[in-house]
Amino acid sequence: MTDPKQRITETEAIEQAKQGHEAAFEVLYHLHKRRVYSLCLRMVSNPAQAEDLAQEAFLQLFRKIGTFRGESAFSTWLHRMTVNVVLMQLRKKSLPAVSLEETLEADDEAPRKEFGTKDVKLTGSIDRLQLQRAIDRLPPGYRTVFVLHDVEGFEHNEIAQMVGCSIGNSKSQLHKARLKLRDYLKFMRAEKAKTG
Amino acid sequence: MTCSDVERALPEFLDGTPDSAFPTDFDAHVKSCSACSDLISDLKLISSEARQLAGTEEPASRVWVRIAAELRAENLICEPQPTRPVLVPSSQRPRWRMWWLAPVAAALVAAGSYLVNHKPAPPLAKQQAPATPAKSPAPETPTPASHTVPTPAPPQLAQTSPKAADNIAAVSPAMGPQPSAEDQQFLSEVSTRAPSMRATYENQLRAVNADIRETQAYVDQNPEDADARQHLMDAYQQKALLYQIALDRIQ
Repeated sequence: MTDPKQRITETEAIEQAKQGHEAAFEVLYHLHKRRVYSLCLRMVSNPAQAEDLAQEAFLQLFRKIGTFRGESAFSTWLHRMTVNVVLMQLRKKSLPAVSLEETLEADDEAPRKEFGTKDVKLTGSIDRLQLQRAIDRLPPGYRTVFVLHDVEGFEHNEIAQMVGCSIGNSKSQLHKARLKLRDYLKFMRAEKAKTG
Repeated sequence: MTCSDVERALPEFLDGTPDSAFPTDFDAHVKSCSACSDLISDLKLISSEARQLAGTEEPASRVWVRIAAELRAENLICEPQPTRPVLVPSSQRPRWRMWWLAPVAAALVAAGSYLVNHKPAPPLAKQQAPATPAKSPAPETPTPASHTVPTPAPPQLAQTSPKAADNIAAVSPAMGPQPSAEDQQFLSEVSTRAPSMRATYENQLRAVNADIRETQAYVDQNPEDADARQHLMDAYQQKALLYQIALDRIQ
């Protein structure tokens, strides 16, 4: 059976969604659900919370879809909206606030290069699950910038605007996040070698 | 140049935008220092692997069901107008026969609750268990939801709705890839009353059934996993919500 959702383009779906057609909303949802949900999940590291945030992002999108004029790509519009929904949630929740300055000062619960293991190179490839776990362990400020830049592909000026920090700060956070991830990954690899 | 100098210059180097002030002996140091060259290749690797994480996670089917419900609640969805004449006297209108959806929805929740809270007894205990009395006791006093407190089992449902109890067998334990008889009837009614919505409901039903099926299989293998059992209950509630929404919209 041919899936009716495949029969219309994104542009057609947007126009029909503006008219309130449920099927069009559903098409748009299915086109972008993975990217939106993944973004939420990477940033909050909690599947239930990520579902709520993805739901809220899509609802905001559908509420405002009448104002979409096509100046930017629809996906860009949606992803920015999603980031804003997540950041707003992170700021108002009891989760550690996304304060880049704070993260700069006090986040080093895992000292670098002190895992008692040889300082080996990661080499070759990184297991996706391990990388995800390592990202989950990052302090929120680092995680936010890393996910936005390295996973989602936002530029530093965009991140600075969305997060509310300077471009230099965004660059600095990204670098520290990468260094920390390297340490986590090496630690995980060493642990795995010990047990395996 | 020292390793610390290299680390300080790294963000600019990895960003691909080194300006005129970038240390000229950077490359020379990296070539001669394995620690720094390893560091650079590791950070590049992390960055490139991270890119592969975008869009890899699939949200549960319930997310769309909840979004669709909210869109309806906010009247953001414009319903297609019914094709039948508006001024037909009510006595002559075809009677809407979706009444059974309500007990089906209730049965789904109850079935989910039963399956979630019911831990299969060991085979010996099963054999020795007394037969279910023909008339079950009166409904229990409501107790706080807990995984350790068994909820009313299907026989009790028969008291409130024989059809609902029948539906449990159809919808709960053996939800196969094909829609159950109740699902087929549901879709058939939707086709009759709101043909344009058939595809939407069919897709949603398929997604929710798949969620139930997958979670049930997991719970069967991991009966002690409280999170999985709760997820199964949620999936049944989503299906019940789907039926309820149809009832509200099409009735």
